[in-house]
Amino acid sequence: MGEKFHFPKDLYADIRIEEKYTVNLFNFNGELVNDRATQENGALIRVYDGKLWYTTSTNELDRLQEELDALAELAQPNPAVYDDPAIRLLEVNRDERLLYEGDKLADIARQRFLDVIDYYVGACIEDEMPEVNSWSVGAGGEYMKKSFYSSKGSEIVYDYQMCAGGVWYTLGNNGQPMNSGKQLFGVTPEELTGHEAEILAERERYIDFIKNAVDVEPGEYTCVLSPITTAMFAHESFGHKSEADFMLNDKTLRDEWVLGKKVGSDLVSICDSGDMPNHGYIPYDDEGTKARETWLIKDGVLTGRLHDAHSAAALEEGLTGNCRAQSYRKRPVVRMTNTFLQAGKDSFEDIIADTKDGIYVYMVSDGTGSATFVMNATICYRIRDGKICEPLRVHMLTGSVFQTLFDIDRVGSDFELFDTYTCGKMNQMVRVSAGGPSIRVRKLQVS
Amino acid sequence: MTIKEKHSNRRTVSKMSYEENKPMAFERTGSVESSYRVYDGEKVGICYSIGEISDEEGFARAQADPERARPYPFTPETGGERKRDKSESTVTDRELMDVAGEYMQYIIEKYPQFTFSGNFTTERCRYALTSDLGTDFEEADACFGAGIMFKHKDSRDIIDGSFGFNMRTLDDGEVFRTMADLYLGQYETPAEVPEEILLCIQYYSLTGTISDELNAETLALGTSHLTGKVGEQVFSEDFTLEHDVTDKEAWFGRFWDGEGCVIEGDKLVLIENGVIKTGFSDKRVAKKYGVPHTKSAGHNYSDLPYPGGLNLRIRRSDKTIRELMAGRPAIIPLNCTGSPMDNKGNMSMIINTSLLWDGERVVGRLPEFRVNMNFFDVLGKDYIGVGSDDSPFYHDKVILLKGYRV
Repeated sequence: MGEKFHFPKDLYADIRIEEKYTVNLFNFNGELVNDRATQENGALIRVYDGKLWYTTSTNELDRLQEELDALAELAQPNPAVYDDPAIRLLEVNRDERLLYEGDKLADIARQRFLDVIDYYVGACIEDEMPEVNSWSVGAGGEYMKKSFYSSKGSEIVYDYQMCAGGVWYTLGNNGQPMNSGKQLFGVTPEELTGHEAEILAERERYIDFIKNAVDVEPGEYTCVLSPITTAMFAHESFGHKSEADFMLNDKTLRDEWVLGKKVGSDLVSICDSGDMPNHGYIPYDDEGTKARETWLIKDGVLTGRLHDAHSAAALEEGLTGNCRAQSYRKRPVVRMTNTFLQAGKDSFEDIIADTKDGIYVYMVSDGTGSATFVMNATICYRIRDGKICEPLRVHMLTGSVFQTLFDIDRVGSDFELFDTYTCGKMNQMVRVSAGGPSIRVRKLQVS
Repeated sequence: MTIKEKHSNRRTVSKMSYEENKPMAFERTGSVESSYRVYDGEKVGICYSIGEISDEEGFARAQADPERARPYPFTPETGGERKRDKSESTVTDRELMDVAGEYMQYIIEKYPQFTFSGNFTTERCRYALTSDLGTDFEEADACFGAGIMFKHKDSRDIIDGSFGFNMRTLDDGEVFRTMADLYLGQYETPAEVPEEILLCIQYYSLTGTISDELNAETLALGTSHLTGKVGEQVFSEDFTLEHDVTDKEAWFGRFWDGEGCVIEGDKLVLIENGVIKTGFSDKRVAKKYGVPHTKSAGHNYSDLPYPGGLNLRIRRSDKTIRELMAGRPAIIPLNCTGSPMDNKGNMSMIINTSLLWDGERVVGRLPEFRVNMNFFDVLGKDYIGVGSDDSPFYHDKVILLKGYRV
């Protein structure tokens, strides 16, 4: 690829260039209210002098060398900068992984997205839908080509594409609206089709919920979590604690999360990998580190954590490829990619049948990951004598991460990975996937 | 005949970041966004551009793809000339780095039992709208902001709380020091959760929820909790909500909406003394549903406008925060998570860490507890008010409301 930039002497520097193309079409109640295609090109330049990172972002890709030179003027040249533990750790990779050249989003005709919308309007929107107050059908996608060059010699180019769509309903019931729907993912628009049966079944489930749900009696319950709930649990309850940047100088947390410590039941294994073809796919992170599989917990024992070069050097551990930024406007920090709790052997039916008294958590909307983690529930059911009973209106499930991982006593074989997630941290949103099977937790606080 | 219109936004941000007490990065970004729009009476061609391009190229690209021209059967506004600059001062990058260093030194030395991460930011923004109908609008703003996350060294949590503020003119550090002392000074002193739960919080997430409910389209479709209640007394008589583009307490606003419309007097009252006066709408929604056009279009540079983009503020009470507290202690949440409201308007909140404040001093830190609230009650029987003064915990206005411990 040849030397593309002239990097400043006695400083470490890297340049991350992003070329993003986005399509979004959205039909709301029969009206195409969004119809746009946008191209955004930009770059983030970083310079490090051993004390401080200096960064700047720009949209003027033909002026990157001038921007790099100007930024270098702010830093203090340091002949020993390449001896800095973090810089020494940074990988030198040269690779080109362009996977979507054949059917790149910018080359996909707008009509193919309109066809997806027409398909679902035909399949999922009826003339008479008495419980439905409004509906929407969307289709679109994102293509990103990312290039990375560093003063250590990395030259990496890769791309990523994801089409997304969905059908959503707002269901009404005496001024008490509730949203339902399903989000769909694929690489091409056509891969979004074929899910009408799931969408209609989901709508019926929500209509039944609105009509029949009763309020939960707050308290402590045994909970069976659906795969999508387990996915959020893995991400929120534990995943954020595996991001090493919060514990570099903190003895309490370093002692709490020391590798080799038993942190959960033998049934719990959690992994993160950026090299899976899912929403969190990053074959190289934003420091040029190659993605790899990192087992965070194996059979209940803490075995790894997620790093950027700075945290890996501080904790004297290896790189994991988890340094990510929301976009070229942001400095990268330690983030998850595709994170999942490994499948077990139990069938979902056996887990329910084995639960005498509890709650089945079918769907959650969002969550947070303090020591007391939170998951906000949307659809739950009572379990009595091994059977799923009436729908239950639950707001919040909470537990202590230090206890709940030990309280997992059944792990299902019905593993699913969900591309629906976007994760927020330090005012940066990044695309991630999360996955898991049905699990049973002996006790969670429910309100 | 075609009409050309250009919306633009220039923004520069400088940021000094600290992680675990140490300086980590100095970041500088600049951006230019433009939306070139060409109207023909029935449709509008739109070119959204990030980065510098010439006006000639922008307008040419807006007309280059007739297939993507969007339906827009409305006449663009003829707004005349109006310019406003809310910025007060300039903070140089050097001053930003120095101030960040001073502030961090203060908290690191005075509170060694904590570790701190956070950002110090200066931001400057200039919005403009011009058209060949003679519209020439411009609004500028600039501010300095600090945002600090703190963690007690004995805590098993990643973060125990945060505080921060924005200001247009950098002070001598008094606001930062006062805020830091309030949050950290009595953090290690245990306190008991009072019987009556009186929360003292900033209200932006609450007005965001109300905004969703007052969209005229959702009101018309029956997808709002407030459908059928326009004209009715729904909330407390003390509760008045308005969209206010004169608001100096809001950052980086514009006095025009996404369609170039300016509200008479720069204010729109949506709820007055608890009575819902109107939903808000843009031109499309007003025409489609036969409701009043409230000149409330969001700024969408890449597509058609949509109802939104409001700067909602709850009218302040005549009483100070302490007068509203009426001798009762208030709870300042430091780390908490709320659930979305369900179809009945009910919500839950877990308050992981919080401070108890008696109106003069911080009594101590409360243990974790949970509260339930209801959207209608929070602004109804459980509404206490927005103080006439700013809270030193936020350097901003605050709302006082009741919750119920579970």
